[in-house]
Amino acid sequence: MQTVLNLILNPQYLILVYFSFIGVLFSLIVSFLPALHIYNVLGILMLLVFHLEVALPPMHLIALCIGMIVGYSIFNTVPASFFGPGDESMSYYVLPSADWLEKGRGYESVILTAIGSLGGIVIMAILAPLFIKIVPILKTVTGPHLFWILGAVIAYAILSEWPKGLSYSSSRLTNFLEGWKYLGIGLLTFFLASILGFIVMNKTLVPVDFAFQSITPVFVGLFAIPWLITNIINIGKVPKQHIPETVEIDWALVYQGSFSGFLGGFFAAFMPIVTAGIGGLLSSHATAQRDNRLFILSYGTCKTVYYVGSFLLFFIPGVYLTRGGLASIVSPVMFATGYREYFLFVAIMVFSAGISFLMLMPFTKACIRLVEKVNYKWVSIVTLVLLIPAVFKFTGFGGLAIMAVATGIGLMPVLFQARRMNLMAVLLVPVCVSMAGYGNHVLRFLGLI
Amino acid sequence: MKGLTHFVSGIAVASFFPQAVHMAVQEKSFILALGGIFGILPDTLDFKFARYFFKPEFEVRPDPNNLDAKKIAEGVAEAVKKAAEDGKSTLQLHTMQLGANRWRSYSLAFEKETSEIVVEIGPEIDTGQLPFLGTEVKDPQKAVARVKVDCEFQQDFDKKSTIGIMTGPAFEFAKTEDGKVEIIFLPWHRTWSHSFTLGILTAFIAGIIAYFTVGEGPNPDLYTLPRWMMYPLIILFGSAIHIIEDSTGFMGNNLFYPFTKKRTKGLGFMSASDAVPNFFFVYTSILCIIFNLDRFHPGQILETRAISNPWFYWIVFWALPSVVMFYLYFKGQGTKSKKKNKPDFDSPKMEHEPDVSVI
Repeated sequence: MQTVLNLILNPQYLILVYFSFIGVLFSLIVSFLPALHIYNVLGILMLLVFHLEVALPPMHLIALCIGMIVGYSIFNTVPASFFGPGDESMSYYVLPSADWLEKGRGYESVILTAIGSLGGIVIMAILAPLFIKIVPILKTVTGPHLFWILGAVIAYAILSEWPKGLSYSSSRLTNFLEGWKYLGIGLLTFFLASILGFIVMNKTLVPVDFAFQSITPVFVGLFAIPWLITNIINIGKVPKQHIPETVEIDWALVYQGSFSGFLGGFFAAFMPIVTAGIGGLLSSHATAQRDNRLFILSYGTCKTVYYVGSFLLFFIPGVYLTRGGLASIVSPVMFATGYREYFLFVAIMVFSAGISFLMLMPFTKACIRLVEKVNYKWVSIVTLVLLIPAVFKFTGFGGLAIMAVATGIGLMPVLFQARRMNLMAVLLVPVCVSMAGYGNHVLRFLGLI
Repeated sequence: MKGLTHFVSGIAVASFFPQAVHMAVQEKSFILALGGIFGILPDTLDFKFARYFFKPEFEVRPDPNNLDAKKIAEGVAEAVKKAAEDGKSTLQLHTMQLGANRWRSYSLAFEKETSEIVVEIGPEIDTGQLPFLGTEVKDPQKAVARVKVDCEFQQDFDKKSTIGIMTGPAFEFAKTEDGKVEIIFLPWHRTWSHSFTLGILTAFIAGIIAYFTVGEGPNPDLYTLPRWMMYPLIILFGSAIHIIEDSTGFMGNNLFYPFTKKRTKGLGFMSASDAVPNFFFVYTSILCIIFNLDRFHPGQILETRAISNPWFYWIVFWALPSVVMFYLYFKGQGTKSKKKNKPDFDSPKMEHEPDVSVI
């Protein structure tokens, strides 16, 4: 009680509100730039902070980061819907979202996702005291088993992709080959992405100075560029978007979607390497989702819980789980946090989510006006033209080479309609194999050591 | 049940073997994941292989440019008549793809009371099965057709199959001893792949391989079962749990193929695509996994366990949420039952599995 009163009656905490607001604003700008990931920007920001020796108390930095990650987790739906996804977590959402965009319901899709995001924040805030008890138990119990749980996730990702053919032919062999064409591409994508993962994680071409950005060209190549190329080739003009005054939704859908999304998001946040895309897929299967609105809403929850939750886990007193990119980036400058910082985190998170939601609506409308006026194709071309020099700037020729290879692999599922989740093998397989202790055997087999 | 449900249940079953948990911790073995792989395997065999071995005698290929419900119904009736005369026939219904993300839907129902085959041409839909408004067929003569056949139908549940996206459903029609024609949905599904026999055979083969390749582990005196036996047992129980879970639905399984020839009826407790039962199985399995990983951790005693109060764990995390889940399930069933006079695709007594995504 005393702590709560202390928090309320000490106006110096208002400075945290200021920093979180700045973070939200910053994430808005980052989100507007297609295919740019908040983790890359934060990495650069941290470098600048160190380089310029800017005095920034840790709690202020935390508030800034919370604002950025919460804002990004809510705003990134907008560029993903209208310009293309920045990472795997977003690409899972993009297919149904693109479908709604085609029907002029892009705005509605964004708002549904944002409602889901708010649902996720509310659930996290409610469960925050419980996390203090549960997460340490989960960490203790699952700690020695993470490698096979990742292995199980990989096995399920492969086994749960079903053939997509139409089987129109009267020849069984033709139908079999047609169905397996998609599965075969999925398996090949998975295999190639795994090999790429072993190479970039153990013998990267990226200069040592930029080692913290070594994975960036991989993700740009696997996810961002294939999407941009597809946009340039395929997409015509975006149809006129309808901006409704209300969204067709009921509380049952909100509860169901938020609950399901929370499960997937929490799993992704808790497990190393698992992304919101994978978490979302698992939770949608676990709760047998079939409704498109439910999918979109629950995905909003899932990605927010994934991005923000993985950072929140780092602040649970006595646990300090380093999950997700943000926790890894800020961990060198973080001090040991206690209950006060943890609950401050929760409060800032709720504030940032509210502000972000309010800013989302005008932001989405502005984006809609932009895509209606500017040819979508040109947006993709400009993004591509900016993206390639940016990768070169931060990772050199080595990074460009990795990006080119990754783009080739990333195009496979896009062109053959296989699951893009297979691309996540780039991280899942090397990490799982290394955790199980077989990493050196594989590296030796591949001639990497 | 959904694939994930079987997968997680398979892992849960594997986690009940203390030696398997020890192998995971001490030897970095993936043996627990093996339970999941064999848990989902029966569906993998069906949807990735068995479906392609099915050769239908009759095929209905509706023409999207010349929509005619009567033509479809007559195609189905032809297959039914063949079964009534010769004892058996098989039918494959095809979908109508109009574009990358656009399909024309239609539905098929067998009316027991009137012995009629009822076909309705539905609206155009997207791959998410959302209809495009205004795309319904305007001409009622072409949109709906009822074709009467000279035999009675035997069907275990009210059925109205919607044929929309991807591969359409297949049917088998079999004449029964009392002269009726039994309608068997997806005849290639849940047959040999969903039998205990296959599980036993696979486990036997795995057992032979394991016997010759898996060596003695650390502290063999601690265990009653030899280490190699973990592999066949986890495979056997992993696949068995799939069959048991599927038996709670409507479709059932062919439990002892090839000794039994037909699929048994399911217990009919729930539909394979019901959200709450699926989640209940997944949730219970996850709780079992966490509980077993904790209690079977090598060298673990109650005082050092992360879950030091098992009663609290099961009451708070399983019993109470289960009560909520069952309440929601039965409440949902009640709401659906009110709409029962409309025997459509969402009817509670439906095993709606026209596309693989719901399995």
